[in-house]
Amino acid sequence: MEISGALLPAIPAQGAGVGTSGQLALTVLMGVFLVAVFLALTRAEDWRTYTPLAGGGYGESGHHVRHKPEGITRWLTTVDHKDIGMLYGLYAIVAFVWGGLAVLLMRTELFTPSMDVLGAVAGGTNAGNALYNGLLTSHGITMLFLFGTPIIAAFSNYFVPLLIGADDMAFPRINAIAFWLLPPGALLIWAGFFVPGLAPAQTSWTMYTPLSAEQAGFGADLMILGLHLTGVSATMGAINFIATIFTERGKNVNWANLDIFSWTILTQSGLILFAFPLLGSALIMLLLDRNFGTAFFAVDGGSPILWQHLFWFFGHPEVYILVLPPMGIVSYVLPRFSGRKLFGFKFVVYSTLAIGVLSFGVWAHHMFSTGIDPRIRASFMAVSLAIAIPSAVKTFNWITTMWNGKLRLTAPMLFCIGFISNFIIGGVTGVFLAAIPIDLVLHDTYYVVGHFHYIVMGAIAFAVFAGLYYWYPIFTGRMYQRSLAKWHFWSTMIGTNLTFFAMLLLGYNEMPRRYSTYAFNADWAPLQTVELLHQAATLGAFILAFGQIIWLVNFVQSWYEGPEVDGDPWGLRDTSLYGREFEWHERRLQTAVTDGGEEDEVATDGGVDETAAEEAVADEQSDE
Amino acid sequence: MAPDVFDRETLLDLSVNVIPLFIILFFVGVFAVLPQFGYSLVPTLIQMALLIVPFVGLAILTYYSGKAIATSEAELEARERAVAGASAVEGSEETGELSEDEDAQPIEGTETDGDEESTASNE
Repeated sequence: MEISGALLPAIPAQGAGVGTSGQLALTVLMGVFLVAVFLALTRAEDWRTYTPLAGGGYGESGHHVRHKPEGITRWLTTVDHKDIGMLYGLYAIVAFVWGGLAVLLMRTELFTPSMDVLGAVAGGTNAGNALYNGLLTSHGITMLFLFGTPIIAAFSNYFVPLLIGADDMAFPRINAIAFWLLPPGALLIWAGFFVPGLAPAQTSWTMYTPLSAEQAGFGADLMILGLHLTGVSATMGAINFIATIFTERGKNVNWANLDIFSWTILTQSGLILFAFPLLGSALIMLLLDRNFGTAFFAVDGGSPILWQHLFWFFGHPEVYILVLPPMGIVSYVLPRFSGRKLFGFKFVVYSTLAIGVLSFGVWAHHMFSTGIDPRIRASFMAVSLAIAIPSAVKTFNWITTMWNGKLRLTAPMLFCIGFISNFIIGGVTGVFLAAIPIDLVLHDTYYVVGHFHYIVMGAIAFAVFAGLYYWYPIFTGRMYQRSLAKWHFWSTMIGTNLTFFAMLLLGYNEMPRRYSTYAFNADWAPLQTVELLHQAATLGAFILAFGQIIWLVNFVQSWYEGPEVDGDPWGLRDTSLYGREFEWHERRLQTAVTDGGEEDEVATDGGVDETAAEEAVADEQSDE
Repeated sequence: MAPDVFDRETLLDLSVNVIPLFIILFFVGVFAVLPQFGYSLVPTLIQMALLIVPFVGLAILTYYSGKAIATSEAELEARERAVAGASAVEGSEETGELSEDEDAQPIEGTETDGDEESTASNE
């Protein structure tokens, strides 16, 4: 309110100073400038002859293939879906690092019951609490909006056109714009930490009113604006994917043989299309409440609960926006190392669509304790229980795919199995929370935090790693170091379960969430147990961080020094599981200009080379 | 159109979505027959709408997706049959050509068969 009061009078004052003729001159000048920019752009490039590059083929123009510009210009101007996929990936990893560092600071603080570390950093207990709240908010928003959604977009941008046999996305330039909205979005969201004079928002990622409407400071406004930008970006991307999958499929790809990953991206895009515009509207209303005196969510004259309804109508589908594509990755990768096709492929497709629809009918299970009418609450419980079925169906399909299969425990496969294991724990704890009586007991405790982290870290991030390892040979042309990959898996698996299982137990001990300290009276609750569990969770978080450092080192080093791969790094060419993306990869290698020189024999991950060695020995023996 | 598209196989695939539909329907029945918090026009209306709208939405999407997939599957099968038919026609022509040169073929054919059998037994 204070800010708007300061800004509003400045606008007419400025207008009066310039004068009517001055304004007219400025308008003409701006018009001339815009026309000049437009003409320059049309001269610089023929907009109608877009040619997808680096695919080794001809584009729509069909006449010639131009080389991409060199260096940074390539990345700033690219409209190639693969390049944009890489940009999304890089962006997501930067966000992952920031979100991870934020939570490490929080977990360090929670190692002891009182305010120690952050208090020393920020200079005082209150400042430490404020910093904790800021880190909490930033961690949530960063991991969900700046890591989760973009890393999925990285996969979908790179691989969906390849998997469906399209030249590129339906709207390559919109694809580029959608990405380039994200960096300013991130800067706005993080501005509270880095811009002197601004304080980070302390609203938590849910931005519940009246707290978020009344919290002073520009940092929260910038965060909301940044969030709005990322929402616009996601919506543009979703429209692009829907158009691409509907209209750009190759001749041999139809609804019956569309791959499972593209199905999940299509469903996810549908969810984004219906959910994100609502978030955008709610954010605008919140900004108006904060800065322009409206009362949508005000306690007097408005309704704070309205925010919760609007937010969760977006927020629950957002959970499935984040989890469906990772489920698609697991459904795609798991069969390749099980030696079998995905069991019940169409079951998985239909259950994906079912989750998509039902996800819009469960939002108020986040609000069971807000005092809504018990009849209405019961309906939300019923649909929440119903939505568990399609998820369970998928789980059984994955298990059945592995049943009696010829398993190869490569890094992507390990992460797929880890995904299933963690998803079962995260899912079952979610079914309990869907029941109103249990939710009323466990609401706002660490049980909820443990539950959803089993999904977002234990499941979503695991599937992301499975995808990154599986497709690493395609996007780098090289193979990663498999020992480091296995170190990464085991440290991530142990860290995840240590941290988040401790949180489930903390919840059973009634430890409330979102607190920076827990120095309560030991007569109220078993303080020693709570402290021990917090310490276990912190230890797990550091094990997790250790694993992610291994992953980053492995990926970067292997990118430079890893052995180059052929078109079939996973030994799938002679099976029906050889994907269209690897067929494309092989074509790319065949059409690439050789630079001479011999490469070492490629060592594939997980037993393939050993099998090959065994076969060679067997051949020798049979020859003898 | 619909009876042709929704054969036994497709209906079996779609059964996966029938389960959540049944659960929702079950709760509609329970809340209608055993209202633990009594009836009241607006809350009861909202309560039922919150169940019926997802039910209808899921039923419609299941129907159309099932139809789209089954139709595409039929197209794929028709295409495969056409390709198989074309190759069969080509094969029959080849057989015809071969049959004109019968004298040399039977011995080779016999040898080939014998090889295949021995390979199979080795496996």
